[in-house]
Amino acid sequence: MPGPGLIAGYLDTLSRQLPGQVVEELADGLEETYRRHLGLGLAPDAAAQSAVAEFGDPELIAAEFTRAHPARRAARRLLAAGPVVGSCWAVALVTGRAWTWPVPAAAGILPGLALVAVVALLAFAARSTRYRPIGRAGAAGCIGTAALDAFMIIGVLAADPAARWAVAVAVTASVGRLGLSARLLRPVLAGSG
Amino acid sequence: MRAEELKGHLDALLLATLEGGPRHGYAVIETLRQDTGGRLDLPTGTIYPALRRLEQAGLIAGSWSVVAGRRRRCYRLTAAGQRALAGRRAAWREFAATVSAVLEGGPCPDPA
Repeated sequence: MPGPGLIAGYLDTLSRQLPGQVVEELADGLEETYRRHLGLGLAPDAAAQSAVAEFGDPELIAAEFTRAHPARRAARRLLAAGPVVGSCWAVALVTGRAWTWPVPAAAGILPGLALVAVVALLAFAARSTRYRPIGRAGAAGCIGTAALDAFMIIGVLAADPAARWAVAVAVTASVGRLGLSARLLRPVLAGSG
Repeated sequence: MRAEELKGHLDALLLATLEGGPRHGYAVIETLRQDTGGRLDLPTGTIYPALRRLEQAGLIAGSWSVVAGRRRRCYRLTAAGQRALAGRRAAWREFAATVSAVLEGGPCPDPA
């Protein structure tokens, strides 16, 4: 973008925190603002200073974009759904006496570890104040949640083929959350571009 | 008018600026400035994340074009955005009439 170094420095600050397409749009607006001030008769340096002042603190702009990141909303929705789906599975596993199933110990431990990792990723995406990590953590959290749901559905149905009401409820809850994860992933990936 | 006083109303204002047709971010800002007689004291850079939020909510749709060699993102109101704007307008009229009835005296609007 043409214009004094002040504007380039301002855009550099934004570029360090926000994706290229977002900065491109902001650069277009900033250049229009700069041109308006030039048109009002200001010298280039003064016009750049006025344009930057009018646009506002780049940290504030980055923070507003971070607050609006779709991964933040996705993470909050998946975290809210977690206790509901988790309770369904807990009831299904306890009523089905899952500890008596002939499955390797790793099949019981790995989903637990994966669950902790997914919750940590989603919690990070829901609370972080930096734009780029939110997108990555949110996308990984969505994929991880979907993978966990798929693992539970396939694993439990394979280990305990007896169709019980608790398993049916848990599978239904997981299928619903799987669909939600897939639906949320698209805007998260688009917002991280 | 300060940014804090606008909280809760900015989305409706942005939707209203797009009612007249598609606009890019800076044109939205200019329309807001003109329509308010320059009384909005808002860091203009913060309009862009608000537009992004409205787009994610499906109330506006954005698309890229090239103008004078620069890529530019334009926004238009969607059908959902038009419905949301109509709802915000009705709510604002009721709110303004109710507050005016208390602050300035006069009949309170019928809670229909």
